[in-house]
Amino acid sequence: MMEEAASQLERDHVHSVYDKIAPYFNDSRYKAWPKVRQFLLDLQPGSIVADIGCGNGKYLHINKEVFKLGCDVCRPLVDFAWSQGHEVQMCDGLHLPYRDGCFDAVLSIAVIHHLSTKERRIRAIKEMARTLRVGGRIMIYVWAMEQKHRKFEKQDIFVPWNPNPSGFNRERAKPRRRATAQSVSEAIDNSEKHRKVRSTSSVADEEDLTRAVPQQRTQRLWFFSRSLDSVFDFGSLAISRSSSRDLSTLSSPTSDNEGNKPRGRGRGLIKQVSSFFSPPSVIGSEEDVFGSVTDLHKTQTHSGSNSATTNKNGTEEQSMSVSLAQECSSLALPDLVSLQREHLKQSGDESEGGPQGQDQQESTQSSQGSEGQVEGSCLRYYHVFREGELAELIENHVEELHVKHAYFDHANWCVVAEKVQLWKI
Amino acid sequence: MKLLTHNMLTSHVKGVTKGYPLLIKATAVKVNEVEFNPQFVSRMIPKLEWGVLVQAADWLGQREDLPAELVSDYEKNDDFLKKVHRVLLEVEVIEGCLQCPESGREFPISKGIPNMLLNEDEV
Repeated sequence: MMEEAASQLERDHVHSVYDKIAPYFNDSRYKAWPKVRQFLLDLQPGSIVADIGCGNGKYLHINKEVFKLGCDVCRPLVDFAWSQGHEVQMCDGLHLPYRDGCFDAVLSIAVIHHLSTKERRIRAIKEMARTLRVGGRIMIYVWAMEQKHRKFEKQDIFVPWNPNPSGFNRERAKPRRRATAQSVSEAIDNSEKHRKVRSTSSVADEEDLTRAVPQQRTQRLWFFSRSLDSVFDFGSLAISRSSSRDLSTLSSPTSDNEGNKPRGRGRGLIKQVSSFFSPPSVIGSEEDVFGSVTDLHKTQTHSGSNSATTNKNGTEEQSMSVSLAQECSSLALPDLVSLQREHLKQSGDESEGGPQGQDQQESTQSSQGSEGQVEGSCLRYYHVFREGELAELIENHVEELHVKHAYFDHANWCVVAEKVQLWKI
Repeated sequence: MKLLTHNMLTSHVKGVTKGYPLLIKATAVKVNEVEFNPQFVSRMIPKLEWGVLVQAADWLGQREDLPAELVSDYEKNDDFLKKVHRVLLEVEVIEGCLQCPESGREFPISKGIPNMLLNEDEV
């Protein structure tokens, strides 16, 4: 039952979200993190490496002296990786289709934190360890709870996907075109003609998609939190899957719906929503925040007081949700590294309201009263890890792995572990 | 899907104990030129299930004269390494399926990508 709910949660709030947001990963703004890059560069020539949860394959081009393959559950992302000439499969991290001990190294970057129970996180690590040869190494990155510029009250959270971070939408059109040019030229290097055609058309499709979207829309995004591990409450699962109307009450802490059962449950989450952003912290990270720091500050201060007081006014409610949306856009997501320098350089040279994405179009529709679950489906589930949690998980539950290094990098907890021979008596 | 990948793929359907190797049923195969790196190929060979590679090449009609037994001293044998290079990295299954030898379950390969996702009743 629990297992079923966990896998349902991951389908609704991980897999289907990635299916939708995949087009936004298909450009060049996702850069490889230096330590991951170095891990790949340090491998012996002729090594075989698997990137489990490879997404669009951003690590698969590093180090020509090793054979890399990637896998992911998200078809659009693996399609894109394949169009770039990478070797990829579709599979689920809990059931890897590879024989025992066949890899010299395994990468798991920003994947384990999408699994909603401890048991499943352990199983995923064990499954990767199974495919690793003795002496082989695994690198695991998970999003950290302890972050300099944001505080999480709970470890199990839903993070809205915002394809239009402030300061980013303005120059959205440009990098996209650059990406087009880049993928074409890369494809020309790749002597394979059919892949060239594929990569070009896949970018063209995205542009069609973005063009079709209305320029104005209501932006309402939420954070809330729930743990499948600690309290398993089927009622709260219902909330995460409830209609957009129920969800929208979350943005208005004082909507008088006490009598209503599902909304009553919603109120429990409201506290977490409003306190999620504990005292407006100084925003302006050196490594991971999108461009418009000042805008963010303004809205934050403006609406910070409103959110705590009685709020029946539609305008105020709107301003609070805008503030949430702004805040969301500044979050560095574990799989998203902004090319901050480029953003700063370019910001302001195009007017507001660039092309927008499919999920936002749908978000407009549902905010107009449709019964769909579209907004809910754009919330990504994360289990953020506490300091030491990842290493403990491995040390206490995955005896075939020996932790070599544990460190903090780009708001993630990271472990490099080696597979050791287990002597069975 | 390259045959090097096939060499590592196995069926993982619940209850299956011998899911390796997967039978290849290809409807579209491509041979793409890939830069030859003899050192890379000779380092790859000890990691392979040699018999499975030969069998896979055979299924696709791409075996040519690849020997059933691994030759000795292949590190210096560029002719041999080129043949291995070709079947490992250049031959690709674009469309078709992989079949579990025990359960018969077929995993589709489309646009070059094997779909190894299992249904709920298979895990």
